[in-house]
Amino acid sequence: MASIQLKSVEKKFGGNQALRGLDLEIADGEFFVLLGRTGAGKTTTLRVIAGLEKPDAGKVMIGGQDVDGWNAAERDVTLVLQQYSLYPRLTVRGNLEFPLRSKIRNMTEDEIAARVEKAAQTLQIVPLLDRKVEKLSGGEMQRVSIGRAIVREPQVFLMDEPLSALDAKLRESLRVELKALHSNLGATFLYVTHDQVEAMSMGDKIGVLNKGRLVQVGTPSEIYTNPKNTFVARSVGTPPMNLFDGMIEDNQVRLNDKSSLPISVGDAVSGRVATVGIRPEDMVLESGAPAEAKVFDIEDHGVMKILTLDTDAHRFHATVSAKIHLKLDEVVRIGWNPDKVILFDQESGENLANR
Amino acid sequence: MAQIDLVDVQKYFGALHVIRDMNLTINDGEFVVMLGQSGCGKTTTLRAIAGLESVTSGKILIDGAEVQDRKSADRDIAFVFQSFSLYPHMTVYENIAFPLRAVGMSTDERGKAVKEVAEVLRIESLLSRRPSALSGGDMQRVAIGRALVRRPKALLMDEPIGALDAKLREEMRAEIKRLHIARNSTSVYVTHDQVEAMSLADRIVIMHDGFLQQIGAPDEVYLHPANLFVAQFVGSPVMNVTNARFSANGSGTKLNVGGAEEGFRFSSEEKAVSYKPTGELMLGIRPEAVHLSHDPLEHGFEVTTTNVEPLGSHDIVDVRVGEATLRARTASGFIGGEGARVWVDIDASQAHFFDGASGLSLSGRH
Repeated sequence: MASIQLKSVEKKFGGNQALRGLDLEIADGEFFVLLGRTGAGKTTTLRVIAGLEKPDAGKVMIGGQDVDGWNAAERDVTLVLQQYSLYPRLTVRGNLEFPLRSKIRNMTEDEIAARVEKAAQTLQIVPLLDRKVEKLSGGEMQRVSIGRAIVREPQVFLMDEPLSALDAKLRESLRVELKALHSNLGATFLYVTHDQVEAMSMGDKIGVLNKGRLVQVGTPSEIYTNPKNTFVARSVGTPPMNLFDGMIEDNQVRLNDKSSLPISVGDAVSGRVATVGIRPEDMVLESGAPAEAKVFDIEDHGVMKILTLDTDAHRFHATVSAKIHLKLDEVVRIGWNPDKVILFDQESGENLANR
Repeated sequence: MAQIDLVDVQKYFGALHVIRDMNLTINDGEFVVMLGQSGCGKTTTLRAIAGLESVTSGKILIDGAEVQDRKSADRDIAFVFQSFSLYPHMTVYENIAFPLRAVGMSTDERGKAVKEVAEVLRIESLLSRRPSALSGGDMQRVAIGRALVRRPKALLMDEPIGALDAKLREEMRAEIKRLHIARNSTSVYVTHDQVEAMSLADRIVIMHDGFLQQIGAPDEVYLHPANLFVAQFVGSPVMNVTNARFSANGSGTKLNVGGAEEGFRFSSEEKAVSYKPTGELMLGIRPEAVHLSHDPLEHGFEVTTTNVEPLGSHDIVDVRVGEATLRARTASGFIGGEGARVWVDIDASQAHFFDGASGLSLSGRH
């Protein structure tokens, strides 16, 4: 059993408060992704769990046990980093065997060989076993460093942006591999990233971290469709959710002097200004739509086009089919799917539906 | 403004051949993006146009005049780097005006030119500030302003927004494009980011290993890739590529992929493949051209899902076909998870075929 709990964890580096009363609950066997920008406290969280940093206050529990005072080795967790820390002079096999040869493990040669073989098969690096590490590509090296983590058969895998240094194509295939690895091993994964595509595509659950606090935890679809506040709304989705301040009246949002667009929520804030959120794929362009806009920019991404639409007051992103042909500065009619509009408090940024 | 030509350009760094047989014409007023991985020769090409790097052989022409032996300063070209190279002790105004002092312009004329550029870049309110008081986006706006103020023949940019955060990058992309249109300038832009290339360029120049792979408008490069490298470099998720084989199927044709027994019904092989490959036949199919359905599909067959990536606006679902995995773009929530049985078909009109040996497209277009 290896669930992870953090209770009111505080960590300061000099004057910089990295973690502010962080509460986190990760179930046994879960693939949990912590999503946040540089400086949000992601890496510090990992290091606190791994036992590489000592929290100033609060509790860290692994498998229900308070691990305060346990050193990194005693916690039975493993850390995979962005930079592959492999021994360049050893072969792949030598690198995989290394953590098993530690005296405290006391393993026989047969046991070591069996573990290495199993890990290599899981990661499909059997043909590489006798190669020198310095002869490997980036993707192969990252597989080997994950392999070195696997051979120890830990209960918890902590991963700190392991794919960021790889090119896009390799990242895509390793994403799928890591997910398959997780379901094969059944271990608890805590994966840290700033890349929302990684978070959405891999996590059973996503925790959005901001300034040392957990803002929201949920499945990828909860985070995407029901963000707790504007910060979370902006954290996932490309292009990001359109957010603008608008006057709410009679189930309509006033866009400018000329036009309004309908919404299906918002009775509570009628007559007030709210921050209105709508995803680019929920915008529609059709003749007869309620509002008018000018095409400010067109990005052709092959599979679709991303338009920037200029109403006098705001600029919107809209994703449309790649087959739609428009010109810059062309005037179009725009609307949106009223059921997909989310209203946020203008001051606090909180989602008003959650009140 | 100017036309730029590269004719048979070669560049060696010692034994390393970084630009090979480069022939390229950049038209007056065009926005050309050079796209490739690090080390492909794109930045060296840009620097060679600017005169920051010499060429080993070949010609570079600006408006028809050979410039390969001219100094950088005599080519009348402006260059914007990724790192904002501003003078920290000068104000924004002085930074932008600096290149004009060198050409001996009067104070009044300088003021007018700076104001005009600042207006286009929306930095008028920042003119009296020092660079240290600016955000990353504003610093890069100032750097672009300084490059444009003397109205150069062409503007060359080397990953100018690579150091900015995602949101700012998106904003700056649209601005750079509007600026290009407003100034009617010739722009050459280097990046490794295919999204940036697709969204900015009139034409994309794709490079790999010093060789030019394909030149074309974004939709052309996306819809008609010349070879496997281009096919898999442009588009996200990457194009599915797998070995394939045509076989007879009663009166029609079947396309088997990944060595699978079952195949996609295909109207005719001749339409899809103009040349016989010397190596193995490879099918390339983009995720949006792989169709999944809960109901039987006439031209397809049943498969098992192996992975689901929910991305919010859509899902990417992997299915196993023989030894191959095909990734499909579906509506979000189309399928609950892996291990489900679904029907799969491909849109034959969007199927690409390549020679497994040379990697070249077999469509006969290129």
